[in-house]
Parts: sequence; structure tokens; C-alpha cells
Amino acid sequence: MKRDFLFTCLALAVLVLSVVPIGTAVFLLGFVYGDSPCVMCWEQRIGMAIIALLGLFILRYGPKPKYIGLSVFVGCWGVFMGLRHTGMHAARDVGQGFSIEIMSAHTYTWALFIYWICIVTMGVLLMLMRERDASAGLQPLRAVEKLAMVVFMVVIAGNIVQAFASTGPPPYAGQSDPIRFSFDPKHWVWSLDEWSSLPISLRGRWSIEKPAVAALPGDPSAGPLANLPALAIKEQKRIAVPLRGTPTDLAYDAGTDRFLLTTQSGVYLLDGTLSRVLRYTIVDPGFSIDLGQFAGAAFLDRNTVMALGENKGFTILRENDGADADKNFRYFLESFDKFDEMSRSRLGTVRSRMMYVMSLASDPATNSIYAVTVPNSKVKKLVVSRFDQGDKTLSEEFVPKLAPDSGLKFAGKNRSLDELYVTGAVIADGRMYAISAGYSTLLAIDLVSHSVVAAHAIPGLVHPTGIAVKGGDFYIVGAGGEVFVISKP
Amino acid sequence: MEFLNFVLLFIIAYLLLRKPQKERLAFRLLVVSVLLMVAMFLVATRTAILPGVNY
Repeated sequence: MKRDFLFTCLALAVLVLSVVPIGTAVFLLGFVYGDSPCVMCWEQRIGMAIIALLGLFILRYGPKPKYIGLSVFVGCWGVFMGLRHTGMHAARDVGQGFSIEIMSAHTYTWALFIYWICIVTMGVLLMLMRERDASAGLQPLRAVEKLAMVVFMVVIAGNIVQAFASTGPPPYAGQSDPIRFSFDPKHWVWSLDEWSSLPISLRGRWSIEKPAVAALPGDPSAGPLANLPALAIKEQKRIAVPLRGTPTDLAYDAGTDRFLLTTQSGVYLLDGTLSRVLRYTIVDPGFSIDLGQFAGAAFLDRNTVMALGENKGFTILRENDGADADKNFRYFLESFDKFDEMSRSRLGTVRSRMMYVMSLASDPATNSIYAVTVPNSKVKKLVVSRFDQGDKTLSEEFVPKLAPDSGLKFAGKNRSLDELYVTGAVIADGRMYAISAGYSTLLAIDLVSHSVVAAHAIPGLVHPTGIAVKGGDFYIVGAGGEVFVISKP
Repeated sequence: MEFLNFVLLFIIAYLLLRKPQKERLAFRLLVVSVLLMVAMFLVATRTAILPGVNY
């Protein structure tokens, strides 16, 4: 390929980059339609201009490695900027985004695409380059190259005008929510907001730690609710069967007199005395959807169980004595012929989105399943989520309040139910009974009025991770394998 | 700061067009422009530098 043709291609690429995204943005979208870039969009636009300018460097001085290297660097940085910006809006409801949408994509997503095209173009041009093309040194400019330079400067001049009006001279900087562009100075906003003192973080509100019960305070008298009546532990025993992992939740089915117990990846059906394993399996957590560690367990019917991970991923298993062990190799790590996996998916939430859960409860009366959030360092809110058992889709979420006629009071002005750490839940008598490993507190939540109608302290619990109801008793399992039996009030 | 960066880019392009012998100055100014662009993006995103999604 002749050198002139290759460098003509480069000049045309610079022209296209200058005119299409940058020129259109300033002259058409900016001056005509009044669109002002936010601070991130400004930097994305500047990055494209830098890549175009590096193309001009190559046209002028030849393809020196430092020009190509800086182009690749800025291209990659631009892809990161586009990803970072798109990430703020990508997971919202369909059609949502920030500022204007062009041909079904918002400008920040176009930036991501354009930077990617720039890197691809660099790769193609480099592949087409011959050794003789690599000669460096001052090159006389041909007409198309002069045109590229002049057009670039005109586009940059337009950006100088728009940037002066929209963001101002230093030290003013671009804004997060810029107002519509105007040539009238009375509509110019010059802001120093971007320089305000804020904490620096890599993941911000997404740096959320996984749940843990070991360090939680267990003394109910230090809890957020004052003067709670205590429930005594009437019997304490240990789960004597071998388990792979430690207990993470418990459920009971009265029809078959069996308990369901989960460990981090295990699903166990035990007899009514918790002394014999009737069937079990260890779910392969590495297959398909990430289930995290199991934290919730519930019977959906007498032969179907659901295990919920703390990230709200779930698996539904049905008992089957004739299960195909070969077919089930992908789903399980042990005991391949006792269950079939019916589905593996995730529960989606809104209020609970940035919190993990450590409980699962089934309510056959309303064909619903429930989960309760645990607080973390970023988000502290006790949210109850209800899902339709049929399609496993969110039906409602609520933040329970203290029922006015419950007699319950907070222990101090700044105390709240949000301090509780619900690690087990069960539905009985139209109420949810939720056990908090933090402060060993048992809540009774009315599922119609969304209020806490009663609460009790249970001194002596050790790291409770699950609760079930059998007859007139609560069975609360601890992470260490203990089972605490308490009479229902 | 964006205004400053565009002025810088204009000056660099002018050097390439009219004073090409000042290649070293032009490239150094371009590096300054890149650093300013990177710095301003990090200032704007400092409370959550990485994309806010699941990894």
C-alpha cells in the first residue's frame, strides 16, 4: 500500500473524528439544541480531540512510537470513561439514562463506542503500515492533511466558546447537572462544586461487605428496643448429623414432620428430631448463576425446597428418588440422585437492592416468599421483601414500623429497627417471626399492617442463623450447630 | 478547566500547522492536556472511580 494512501486514510479518520462526534456535539447539539455536556462528557469529548490531534502529529511528524503509544493510552482511558459513565445508568429501567439519547443510545455510551472504534482503527492502520511508512521527520502537508488540521482547529474553537460559557475559565470546572447552553451570559453557570471535599473511593456505594454474624453484639439489653420481655430457652441440643459446612437456615414442614437445613452449599432434609439425614445434596455453587452462600431455606411444598443465597440467588430442588445422577452432575457436588434442580435464578429487589439477605420464609396462604435485609456499612435499613411464589418476582417491599398499640419503645432517641440483623424468618399465624442475631431479638411483624406488633429478647442464643416453627415451639439454629427450642408466646 | 484544555489543544494544533519546528513543545503540551483530562475525570468521579455495577 502506498504511503500517501495510508496517510490519506489517517487524515480522513481525523476529519471524521473531528466532525462527527466532536463537531456535531458542539455546533449542532450545543449551539443549536442547547445541549451542555456534564463534566464527565466534557472529558470524554476532550479525549476524542486528543486522539484526533495525535493523528495530526503523525501526519506532521510521522508515526513515532510515542504518538501511537499515547493514542492507545487515551483510547483505552476513553473506553474506561465510557464504561464508568454508562455504568451509572445501564441497569436502570428500560429507556432511562442521562441527557439526550441519539439512535437508542445516550451520548456517554456513544463515547464508549467511539473510543473502541478509535482503538480498532489504530490497530487496522498499524497493520497496514509498512516499514518504509515509519520514517519520521517533518512532513510537508498535503491538501487533505491541511484540511484535517483546519477543520480540527475550527471544531476546537467552537468548543472553546461552549466551554467558556458552560464551565468558565479556571478554576471553574464542568458540572454534574449542567443547564441548557445559551450565548446569553445571564444563563451561564460557573461552578466550583467539583472541587468540594468528598471522600475518595474506588467503588463508592458499591463497596459493600458480605454479611457476617460472628462479631454481632448478642446481648438483647443493649438492643434498640427497650425493656423487652424475655423468652427462655427450654431446650438446647446439637445437630448430631455430619454436615458439609455450618448451619445457615432452618425450616419445618408439618405435613411430613421434616426439617430443611441449609449450610453454605448444602441442602439437608432431616427428620423431625433433627437426628437423622433423610436426604441431602451439595449444590455446585460454581455452576451457572452465582448463588453465593446459602442463607435462607424454605419449603415451597412438601417435596420442593428453596435455598436462597445471601445475594438473593436461589435454587429450587424437588425430591426424586429416581433422579438421574449423570444429568445432575452439573448441578451438584455430592449426592446426585436425591433431588432434581427445578430452577436456578435470582430474586430482584428495589429497596433491598444494596443489601444482602440472610433469611427466607414461605407463606402458602398468600402464595408468597419473603426475605429480610441485613444492614451493612453503607446501607442500614430493615426491609421486608415479598415475592410471588409463582414467578419469583417482587410483589412488595416495606420498612416495618413499631405498631402504636404494641407498647414497644426504642431504647434511645437515635435507636432504630435498622440496627437489627435478621438471620432467620418464618411465617406463622399471619405474622412473620424474624430472629435477629444482633441483640438476640425476636420480632413479630404483621404482614398486613407492616408493623412490629411484638418483640422479645432471647438471652443465651449463640449466633442464630435460622428459625422454624414446629407445633407450639420455635426452633432456632445457631452457626455452631446448636438448636435452641423456645415456646411460642 | 475544560476551557483551559481546549485552549491548550488549539495552541498545539496551531504549532503543528504554523510552527512545526516546535515539535517537542507541542508534544509536551499535549501530555499536559492528557494529564489534565485524566485528572478532571478522576476529580469528577472520585467518590466512586470504578463503574457502579456488580463485578
